[in-house]
Amino acid sequence: MTASSPVTCPGCGAEVAAHDAFCEACGHTLTPTETAAGQQTEEVPITLSRSVRGTLTTDADAVVSAARPCASCGGEVGADGYCLTCGVKAPRERDHYTESPSSWVAACCDRGIRHHRNEDATAVASDSEPGSRAVLVVCDGVSTSLDSDIASLAAARAARDVLVAQQASGLGVPASQVAALAKSLEAAAAQANAAVVDADDTEPDDTMHDNPPSCTFTAVVIQDGLVVHGNVGDSRAYWIPDQGGPAEPVMLTRDDSVAQERIAAGVSREEAESGPQAHAITKWLGRDSPDFVPTTGSVRLEGSGWVLACSDGLWNYVSEAADLQKLIAELSATSADPLPLAEALVAWACEQGGKDNVSVALARHTEDSPESTGPAGPDDATQGGGA
Amino acid sequence: MAAQFTAKVYQNEFLPDGGTDINAIVTVDCVGAGEAGSSGGGAGEIIIVDTSGSMGSANMESAKVAASAAVDQILDGTSFAIVAGTHQAYQAYPITGYAGMVAMDANTRAQAHRAISQFRADGGTAMGAWLTLAGIIFDTVPALSQKHAILLTDGENRNETPQQLDAAIASVTGKFQCDCRGVGVDWVVPEVRRISQALLGSLDIIPAASQMQQVFAELMQQSMGRGVADAQLRVWSPQGAEVQFVRQVAPTVEDLTGRRIAVNPLTGGYPTGSWGDESRDYHVGVRLAAKDVGQEQLAARVQIAIGEEVVAQGLVKAKWSDDDELTTRINPEVAHYTGQTELAEAIQEGLAAKAAGDDATATTKLGRAVQLAKETGNEEATTRLKKVVDIDNEETGTVRLKRSVDKADEMALDTASTKTTRIKGGSSS
Repeated sequence: MTASSPVTCPGCGAEVAAHDAFCEACGHTLTPTETAAGQQTEEVPITLSRSVRGTLTTDADAVVSAARPCASCGGEVGADGYCLTCGVKAPRERDHYTESPSSWVAACCDRGIRHHRNEDATAVASDSEPGSRAVLVVCDGVSTSLDSDIASLAAARAARDVLVAQQASGLGVPASQVAALAKSLEAAAAQANAAVVDADDTEPDDTMHDNPPSCTFTAVVIQDGLVVHGNVGDSRAYWIPDQGGPAEPVMLTRDDSVAQERIAAGVSREEAESGPQAHAITKWLGRDSPDFVPTTGSVRLEGSGWVLACSDGLWNYVSEAADLQKLIAELSATSADPLPLAEALVAWACEQGGKDNVSVALARHTEDSPESTGPAGPDDATQGGGA
Repeated sequence: MAAQFTAKVYQNEFLPDGGTDINAIVTVDCVGAGEAGSSGGGAGEIIIVDTSGSMGSANMESAKVAASAAVDQILDGTSFAIVAGTHQAYQAYPITGYAGMVAMDANTRAQAHRAISQFRADGGTAMGAWLTLAGIIFDTVPALSQKHAILLTDGENRNETPQQLDAAIASVTGKFQCDCRGVGVDWVVPEVRRISQALLGSLDIIPAASQMQQVFAELMQQSMGRGVADAQLRVWSPQGAEVQFVRQVAPTVEDLTGRRIAVNPLTGGYPTGSWGDESRDYHVGVRLAAKDVGQEQLAARVQIAIGEEVVAQGLVKAKWSDDDELTTRINPEVAHYTGQTELAEAIQEGLAAKAAGDDATATTKLGRAVQLAKETGNEEATTRLKKVVDIDNEETGTVRLKRSVDKADEMALDTASTKTTRIKGGSSS
């Protein structure tokens, strides 16, 4: 350990580590002053698109880095963002990107087919040792609000950084570990919310001021077979064990959506998710958010499989966990690499119509000896968070 | 200040599944053009006056006044010359015995006035010879970057075959621009239109000799206000696509499609001549290979180039969609100018049919013109059409040919057929 003087929590005075994002004793949010060793993640360079307001002096689509050759014909891409030979629009980096921090964790985030901007965002991180520790974050920008593409990416990265900085304690009984991670998810949601509010550069007299940037939040921390998840809105986390294993596939999160409220009232999932206002969310991050405390939960993984976080751009086409398990079995038949699978799931969603932006974040969990006892399932002990 | 060009695109970029044809209106604005010759190289002006016998003494006197008025508008320092035309062409000024131009100053202006006063109406009409001589005179000052002429005629081109006239036009196309005016009713509109269109100039009738002075002064003034010597419209289209047409649609309809000069394999250049502070609209049609729903691509880059420098660009896009609400939307600017282009054709074809004695076709075409003028809000065209046809129903285009028509009114309808109005309350300004 370094010889620096101990840092204390401003809330309760307990000693905390410099990289802690919240106080383990009272839950007070802290600003980490250093990053946990070995967990600094390399930022994917992404050029953000900006909404252009007021006088349109330049083509908004022209803001593009044009160094890469045309993806369609290999020709030169012009300064206006289109190929000089075939005219195909060069994708902006923000429109499609992947993350691959280790051999067992990856994410793919894509504009989809119908939307003209990618307002989804992913941010993932992991230790290199498979199964040891990973963070998956998905934020889905609300497309009716301004600059949601900027807000969602800022939120996802802020949340990831909080969760990465939160050092695994490795102490105590599993229940206290879950509680600690649930607390860190709340801190992550709070930081993500702050990032979304910061992304709002509208003035009170701006006509767009009543429509501030906003997004969903879903984060998963995987730690030695323990998964703790939290969500605000309708981006989801699933545990999809490999087919033939002891465990059943399960949707871990519960949407904050009108559809979910209807399901709770007895309407079938299929009907609720295709009904009116199916995609209206009841909780979100942003300046106008009434409540951004995530609903948290946990599960202990048994057998080998995939922990998946995704936006509705994917689950619109494959909502049931069992269907997702079949799909993943088909798409990952030849390999257990997370990046090809994430890309394949995104491509599959686009083939289904790609009506929304699509985000998929994956962590591979491997257990060589599936001699487990009892079925795995969501543990709702901490559901509701600590608000 | 150097001239500033801007380009704005009006289009519906959405194509249905399998759709291939994209239409766009591109409005090009120029501000800060400055005076003629200000872009370097200098400006040259030649005034070509019909001095054939048909002018008679009254028209001749008016033409002298008009030519002198034009001379008065030429800015000092501008190279100029005056051509008198009959069945032959004479360099009336400078009186040097050989082809040449002089710089305008107080002295040369006074000499030019005296030379003009010597005009006498005599002989025939050979406009091809006049244009050829103007070309030779401009060639004596190769440094000129901006070359413009005004041509006045009063009669049919009797002393040359149409082939001779065409050859003469072809030999000077691209050398100088020429605005053409016909005085009275004895000249032939389509004949003179061939000159004005090829030489990127305007065409109009001067019904009464007394109006000549004002018309000439204004024409020269306008030319002196064109500080951008030459600009080229460029249309890039993607590999495998076909540019179906390129038209100027405002202030007048001019089909530029056939004037394409290859800039590179994917880009065609179209001459637009000199520019003052003004706005012109272009209609571009491109046929693409259909792409999948959800795909987006560029259908055309529409550019303005001065020399080799592209100074403004508008992007014409194509996006394939299965949303009928988007794909069936008709862009108002495109619809407006499609109608105006058809209006010009209907008037010209109707008048040609009428001249050939085919009253049935004339009635149908002019009826359609009445309908289009109404639909596109071209009130000037409606007013002119009313002098040639009696309108029973504007909406359906039901008309009857008037029994007696003032020839000047019919010619005015013809010369003005290509003049367009801009969309009402629309975004093109």
